[in-house]
Amino acid sequence: MTPIVATPFLVSGLLWLTGAHVGRRLPPAAAAVLLTTLALVTALATGLVLSLAGFLWLAQVPQVARVGHWSSVVLRSDTWLPGVTGALAGLCALGLLLAALWRAGRAVQAIVIAARACRRLNPAVGDLVVIEDLEPMAYAVPGFSGRIVVSTAMLRTLSSVERRALLAHEAAHLRYRHHVYTQLTDVAAAANPLLRPLRAAVGLAVERWADEAAAAETGDRRLVARALARAGVARSRARPAQLAVALAAADTNLAVRIRALLDPSPQHRRLALGFVVALTACCVLAAGVAAQGAHDRLETAQATYHHPG
Amino acid sequence: MATAHGRDRGGLEREVLACLAAAGRPLTAADVLADLDGGLAYTTVMTTLARLHAKHALTREPDGRAYAYSLAGDEQAAQASLTAFRMRRLLDRDTDRAGVLARFVADLSPEDERLLTDLLAEDGAGHSPGVAT
Repeated sequence: MTPIVATPFLVSGLLWLTGAHVGRRLPPAAAAVLLTTLALVTALATGLVLSLAGFLWLAQVPQVARVGHWSSVVLRSDTWLPGVTGALAGLCALGLLLAALWRAGRAVQAIVIAARACRRLNPAVGDLVVIEDLEPMAYAVPGFSGRIVVSTAMLRTLSSVERRALLAHEAAHLRYRHHVYTQLTDVAAAANPLLRPLRAAVGLAVERWADEAAAAETGDRRLVARALARAGVARSRARPAQLAVALAAADTNLAVRIRALLDPSPQHRRLALGFVVALTACCVLAAGVAAQGAHDRLETAQATYHHPG
Repeated sequence: MATAHGRDRGGLEREVLACLAAAGRPLTAADVLADLDGGLAYTTVMTTLARLHAKHALTREPDGRAYAYSLAGDEQAAQASLTAFRMRRLLDRDTDRAGVLARFVADLSPEDERLLTDLLAEDGAGHSPGVAT
C-alpha cells in the first residue's frame, strides 16, 4: 500500500473544515445530492482502507497465513504500516461499521414509524392533514403516500399567499424524498465521524431546496422569506423559552434560509462544484488503489508460499 | 393558465382547505376567492369546493343563494390529532428519529427572533394574515 490510501482521510479532514461552507455555495438541490454522494463515497473509502489495513495485519499471523496459503514473512516485509497500526485500523473499522449499522437501523425504524403514522393521519384531502392545535407547526411525514401536517394555529398565522408557500415547501420535501438524503448522510457520518458537519450541510440544503421550490411555485422569493419569518416568530412566541433555547442550535438555519431567499447572489458555484466532484473522485481513486494494492500484496505472498512439509 | 395560475389541482385543493381551516367558520366561494391569490377565477374556486364536498372533505349549508363550506371534522380527525400529537413529541425529544420529519421552521434563538421581527416590520403592512371578509 502506498501513501495515496491516506487520501480519504485527508478528504474527511477537509470536509470537517469546509463541509458547511461548500454546501452553502452550491445550488440547494445540487448540494443535497452531491454532498450526500460525497459523504457516502468518503465513508466507504475510509472504511475500506481501514478494513484492508486490518485484514493485512491479520493475514500476517502465521496461523492465518497457513490457512490462506500465503507467506506471512513476505507480507510482513512488504508492509507500509507498522504492525500495531494495522491492528488498530482493523479495530477502528469494526467499531465504525457497528456504529453505521446501528445508525442505519435507527433510520429504518424512523421510516417505519413515519409510514405507520401516515396511515393513521387521515388527510382532509390529498395529503393534507389539518390539526386543531394552538401551537403553530407544520411538517411533512414521508411514506408511500406522505402527509403534510399543519396546525390551525399555523394556518391562522399566515396570509393566504404565505400558506401557499408553506404548502409548496412541505410538498417539495415529500416529492423529492428529502429524508433519504439526510438519513444517508447520517449513516455516513456514523461510519466516519469526520463527516459530521455534512449532516448539517445536507439538512440545510434540503430546506433550501424546498424553499426554492416554494419560490418557484409562488413566483415570489420575498413572499417565501416572509412566510418563514412569520412562522418562525409565531412559533417561538407560542413555545416555552427554555425549550426554544435548548433547540436553538437546530435553527440558526432559518436566518440563513431567509437571507438566501432575499439575496440570491450565488458566488463561486463552479469552484464549489469542482471541489466536491474532485474530492469524490479522489476517494474513489484511493479506494481503488488500496484494493488493488492489497490484492497485489496478497498475490505476491501467495506466489512465494512454501507448502510446509 | 389564467385560471389555474400555476397551481396543479392537488395544490389548489390543499390551499382551499387550508383557507377554510384558517377561517374557522363557514365560507362561501366568494369568501374563499377573496382570500386566495387574485389570479383565480370564481368558477375554479367553486368547482374545487364542490369537488372537495363530493370527496366528503367539506360539509356545506345554504347561505343565501350560495353555499357556505366548512371542514368536515369527524372521528378520523380526532385520531389524526392524536397521531400528530405523538409525532410532535417525537420531534421535540428524539432527534435521531425526528430526522425523517421535515419541519417548516424549527425553533429560534432570541437573536434570530429579533432579526425576523425586524424583517417583517420593514416589509410593511398590506399582507396581514387572516381571512378577508
